[in-house]
Amino acid sequence: MDAFTLTLWIVRITFVILLYLFFAALLRALWRDLRTTVATAGRSLGRLVVVTSPEGRPPAGASIPLDAITSLGRDVNNSITMEDSFVSAEHAVLTFRGRAWYLEDRGSTNGTYVNGQRVAGVVPLGYGDELQFGQVRLRLERVPA
Amino acid sequence: MIAALDRAGIRPRFRHRELLLLVLASVALCAGWVSLASQQAGQMSIGDPTIPIAYVGILFVIHLGFVLTGRRMDQVLLPVAGMLGALSLLLMARLPQGLAGLSLGSIELGLAPLQLLWLSVAFSVLAVLAIVVRNDNWLREYKYTWAAVGIGLLLLVFVLPPAGADDGPRLSLRIGPITGQPSELLKVILVVFLAGYLAENRTLLARTSTKLGPISLPPVPYLLPMLAMWGVALAIVIVQRDLGAALLFFTVFLTLLYVATRRFAYVVLGMAMFLAGATILYQLFPHVRVRVDIWLDPWADPLGAGYQVIRALYAFGRGGILGTGLGAGLPAVGDTPAIPAIHTDFVFAALAEELGMLGGLAIVALYAVIAERGLRIAARAADDFRALLAVGLTLVIVLQAALIIGGNLKLVPLTGITLPFISYGGSSLLANAIVIGLLLALSDRGVEPPPPPSSARRFRLPSRTPA
Repeated sequence: MDAFTLTLWIVRITFVILLYLFFAALLRALWRDLRTTVATAGRSLGRLVVVTSPEGRPPAGASIPLDAITSLGRDVNNSITMEDSFVSAEHAVLTFRGRAWYLEDRGSTNGTYVNGQRVAGVVPLGYGDELQFGQVRLRLERVPA
Repeated sequence: MIAALDRAGIRPRFRHRELLLLVLASVALCAGWVSLASQQAGQMSIGDPTIPIAYVGILFVIHLGFVLTGRRMDQVLLPVAGMLGALSLLLMARLPQGLAGLSLGSIELGLAPLQLLWLSVAFSVLAVLAIVVRNDNWLREYKYTWAAVGIGLLLLVFVLPPAGADDGPRLSLRIGPITGQPSELLKVILVVFLAGYLAENRTLLARTSTKLGPISLPPVPYLLPMLAMWGVALAIVIVQRDLGAALLFFTVFLTLLYVATRRFAYVVLGMAMFLAGATILYQLFPHVRVRVDIWLDPWADPLGAGYQVIRALYAFGRGGILGTGLGAGLPAVGDTPAIPAIHTDFVFAALAEELGMLGGLAIVALYAVIAERGLRIAARAADDFRALLAVGLTLVIVLQAALIIGGNLKLVPLTGITLPFISYGGSSLLANAIVIGLLLALSDRGVEPPPPPSSARRFRLPSRTPA
């Protein structure tokens, strides 16, 4: 076997190896995407735990999983219906945008409170914040992984 | 330039994964080119490097375009398509250059430069679609128009003079010096129509109100327009004797129907329809019978009808595991290829001979990656139309690859379908580039949200109920 045949053989095998190197890099990219999807999918974005609810709807202690957009109020068309005399029909809306939760009062009669402070407009929330609508008090929690 | 983009409110965004994959693909193309040129020259040589350099240049310009416009698109599809195109260039440079030719004035272009020309046109279309498409209303709102355009395109073939004088399938359309195959574009247009129609009517199609013996069917009025549209396309394709396209249309139609309605009864019904149709076609048309007979036993007529398939099988055998090396396979003998139609239908056999089983498996794996990306884009899509569109577009590419690779390997009857991005041919490359371009546009996270459901008969199925 002369030098040329050997070199050509090496180049040939290099080409096949490079083909598989490309494929390995592809697999790595796919694997990473899959990992991030698995890490984020299935896990709910957050939940509301009912702290106090004098009129019993929702019952105290209940845990409510949240969608990216959750509307709250007394009207049955809300994502979370609160049967409380001091809650407006369309009271507030909780939204998950990007990485954080935001709360917006929808012009309720008795207002929306975050950690005891009355809020207006859109306010960012953190996990652990306590929200109050009428007499109902809820806590925003991260869903344990 | 960056300042100009900044004024327009566009922020460049680096795409390091795409860059890495493109670099790897380019290095692989260079290694393959050296291997091919050395084999052909009989000594170490880099041959004529303009073709690979031009091709790599196009890929990187597209990458730069994506980066500068700050698109948040899938980073895997472009390198995969680029790698398939690189394999195509290697094969076309290796085959006898006289297999295809185009003379523009005084310039005579052989097989490889011509394929480079088509690849650059196709990749430009891909890039333009991926960057420019920011909403899908032009597809969604005009689905019947698109269907009419597709059928019209196909009918044109009968009106205008045929491009080839042979009595094979009537597929080609000649405009000036360029011949095109409208059925390639029809594949994409049909998917657009089906996705639009199914997205609008999926809830109605998933209901059962008509009983046909033990099978319950959706309301007939909602099934008829789609079946009619599909029947027209299929009939024209059968009249044109393009079996591959007919098979592709039917499979795409059936799969999209299943994806949209999640009703397995459709699949069973479709398979029964397919068996019935295939039996009738087998009895009626001699060209169908020939294809099936060759598939069952090519050695019955080894020098006539079975010649192509037998040569392909020998090519796979000669390739073995590592292959003969680029340029060292049997097609090198003389100026006539050992396998007829080696640059279109039998590219997989040619590549598998020279790159071996390892190379062949890598090619299959690349199509599998396209399937994964396409279905992921569909799963993440914002609404039904986009999801169905992404599934359908993915199917077009993956099914073509599966049908022709299976045909090459004598696993299924051979149908005249191209291997996406590898086979020679402008129409096929263009259609597949449109598919990848649209998939990229659909995967963009900055794309406009879909319009709210407008017509009154659109209502949502209750999706998963919250726990």
